[in-house]
Amino acid sequence: MDVLGTSEASAESVTMHGVTVTPQSRALILRLPKGGLVWNRPTAVLVEQEGRVRRIPIVDITRILQVGLLGLAVLTTSASVRRCRRRTGGAA
Amino acid sequence: MTDTRDASPDEAVSLIDRAAEQAGKMLEKIFAAAQPGAVFGQPVEAGSYTLITAAEVTSGGGFGVGMARGPAPKPDAQQPPPAEAPGAARKQFIGGSGFGGGGGSMGRPVAIIAVGPNGVTVRPVVDVTKVVLAALTGSAAMLGLQRTMRRARKDES
Repeated sequence: MDVLGTSEASAESVTMHGVTVTPQSRALILRLPKGGLVWNRPTAVLVEQEGRVRRIPIVDITRILQVGLLGLAVLTTSASVRRCRRRTGGAA
Repeated sequence: MTDTRDASPDEAVSLIDRAAEQAGKMLEKIFAAAQPGAVFGQPVEAGSYTLITAAEVTSGGGFGVGMARGPAPKPDAQQPPPAEAPGAARKQFIGGSGFGGGGGSMGRPVAIIAVGPNGVTVRPVVDVTKVVLAALTGSAAMLGLQRTMRRARKDES
């Protein structure tokens, strides 16, 4: 059994208005001898209509905004550190 | 948590075995979060729509066990030995064992899947509190760093 692994799974399909919806999820599993961690998140929805299958991704807007803000903070901070070093001639 | 300080070695081992069983059950519960049923809710009918909630689920936990034995300390010469201690004379060792564990899980809504007469739509759920907290933390860290750099520049000049 792997210590760290991922698994993709599909939930039970729901059929309504002639559309079959199958939600899909992906889990990151960390197995330790005396414990473990599971991070499971929804990834997409498979929509089957009139014989055609369409995949609609589930986008985690909150996570994107959080990572974006963190990236912005890191970029702004590194830019101001570089500017400060240039002003002080690399002493800071 | 299980503590077997006053138990005999056999009792301690059996208690640890039972604790290990409990730990196994706890791990099963943790890894049950990897099932898609933990992420997607049961379909709910609302008018002509069927709604399925999608959430991010994180769960984790761990446990630890320890056991130790050693020679019993010699009785203090100034204090008389306790008279009513059954089996005190043959007690040559002292020991104990302990078991403890903990865990937790967290869920956050990510999206709502709506199946209706117009088709299937996935509506994202934005956790405004988390985003605002991230923005405040990022700005506070940047302001703190800028203030430190300004102070360092002033000290140099």
